[in-house]
Amino acid sequence: MDFLTSVFLVYSFVAFYFLFLFVLIYFQNRKEILKVPKITKKYDISVVITCYNEADTIGKAIDNLAKNGYSGLKKIIVVDDCSKDNSWEIIKKYEKKYPGLVKGVRTPKGTGCAAGAKNYGSKFVKTELIAFSDGDSFPERGSIAKTIGFFDDENVGAVTSTVLVKNRTNLLLKLQAIEYIVIKFTRKLLEFIGSIYVTPGPLAVYRRSAFEKIGRFDQENLTEDIEITWRLLYHGYDVKMAVPAKVYSVAPHTFKGWFRQRIRWNKGGVQTMIKYGGSFFRRGMLGAFVLPFFVFSWFLGVFGLAVLVYRLLKAFVVRYLLTTYSVKAHAAVLTLKDFNLTPSILIFMGLVLFTLSLTFSIIALLSIKEKKEFKRPGVFVFLVYEFFYLLTYPVILVVSAWELLRGKKTWS
Amino acid sequence: MKDKKQYNVFWQALLLAVTFLVIGMYLGISLEQGRLTEINDYYIQSEVSLIDILALDNLIDSSSLNCEDLKRANIALLDRVYEEAVLLDQYESAGRITEGITSLHKKYDVLRGYLWINSIQIKRKCGGDFNTLVYFYNYEEEDLTKKAEQNVWSKILWEIKQERGSNVILIPIAADTGLESINSMLNAYGVEEFPAVVVNEGVVLDELVEKEELIALLN
Repeated sequence: MDFLTSVFLVYSFVAFYFLFLFVLIYFQNRKEILKVPKITKKYDISVVITCYNEADTIGKAIDNLAKNGYSGLKKIIVVDDCSKDNSWEIIKKYEKKYPGLVKGVRTPKGTGCAAGAKNYGSKFVKTELIAFSDGDSFPERGSIAKTIGFFDDENVGAVTSTVLVKNRTNLLLKLQAIEYIVIKFTRKLLEFIGSIYVTPGPLAVYRRSAFEKIGRFDQENLTEDIEITWRLLYHGYDVKMAVPAKVYSVAPHTFKGWFRQRIRWNKGGVQTMIKYGGSFFRRGMLGAFVLPFFVFSWFLGVFGLAVLVYRLLKAFVVRYLLTTYSVKAHAAVLTLKDFNLTPSILIFMGLVLFTLSLTFSIIALLSIKEKKEFKRPGVFVFLVYEFFYLLTYPVILVVSAWELLRGKKTWS
Repeated sequence: MKDKKQYNVFWQALLLAVTFLVIGMYLGISLEQGRLTEINDYYIQSEVSLIDILALDNLIDSSSLNCEDLKRANIALLDRVYEEAVLLDQYESAGRITEGITSLHKKYDVLRGYLWINSIQIKRKCGGDFNTLVYFYNYEEEDLTKKAEQNVWSKILWEIKQERGSNVILIPIAADTGLESINSMLNAYGVEEFPAVVVNEGVVLDELVEKEELIALLN
């Protein structure tokens, strides 16, 4: 057996393992996925919304929260991180619209990161629970209430929600709409093994005592929502997900914006891995699953990409030489003989894996019901997602690792 | 709502993944063993045909048997062995787990070498109105340039075979198998660089030439 075949079989095994893991979790818990605990105690809650140059959306974001329908909502703190547009004026206008409920605050000087603005806003919160949202995210009515019941369990440190794409006007946005649905589905499945690894910014609720005990958001980390979740796990807290609590967020609509966002996410992920690197096989599910899963995925992604690039480069060089020699010898450049369609074990494994992952994505897509205005992406978009979009992940991983390394060099 | 984390699922997934991998490996090995058996059967048939030809060869010396029958049988067998070589190549490139086909390849190389020697003798005995193209290549070639060159050579030779039919006998032989008979043939024809083509036991081409140039060397 040659090296590449061994590599392929190892990858197949790992892919089979994780696919089966998620499929088994799904089938053993499918009736529980949409359930949220009933509210037995009315917890007071405040929401911190961060805003930087979001004049177009901040008003609607405040409206959505103010009319969210949970009577325990005491304050909405809107933090303007020194926007250069007229966000601050709009915030002040909404302060007057919802007197006593909405409070606008401004960071003394721009913090330059979501974590900074969130931490600043959190200082104004006195309630038992504290939620965070973004200036371009729109929680659905009733979403806050659906997270509350989880906090009856004193070990629950945070509850996350279902984040969906609001704007689905071009192919990139539709692809992200599918991706967000698959991510939210996977995240909920991870809850059943105590391994939710992120409480995304568009809507996450924390027990304030836990939030303050662990030291609020890490302003050095590019993905403060991943880092704080790992820190909660590190300190032994549980993290839950209220699937029916939906929040619609504005996703990047240009390739450049999308790419930069993904690089930031990945860089933040790597920063978090490094920070908690010493927790391998310690600290509950953080060390038993979350950290190994991240490290393993990162390593497999980078190594797999390296193998793929090597194979492609080699194939390109051989094809170039073949064409040159064929032309020189007056032979056909391409014949049917060049296409070997003889089935092999690798093709068989690849097909089974592809079918399984396709089924998983379809189950994920069918797991959510949205309002009619949010049209479900069609078959074409789904196929582009499966065949092309997912292939960008390892590339982003490598670029982000490279940028992080370069950044480190600069810091030193 | 149940709030019991299900850690058993890790073992269950491991069991399923191992089962799937074992099933996949089993199917893969079965598939490759089936191909090996198929090629082995072809090889046995070719061996029988070779013995048949050798018998014919001996009969020519002792009776009034027609040389044409011997030539026809030899060409037919070589053509068949060439077709089997193409199939063997396909199965080899799709074979990932078992190594059996590699040793079969060596057996075929010996057989093809022997058939070439036999063809030379038939030409001597009965005259040569057919062309022999013996193509020496490296089986374990790592150099991409050489690999591409080999690919183009086999394409040119295949095209010539398609165009000229039984007028051309095409004998591909791996030169790096370490077999004594093949090494002796290489020495006899002074072939040191690969890939190389020996045309009608006379001209040795160890550099890629135009297809027409090669055709011009044929009868």
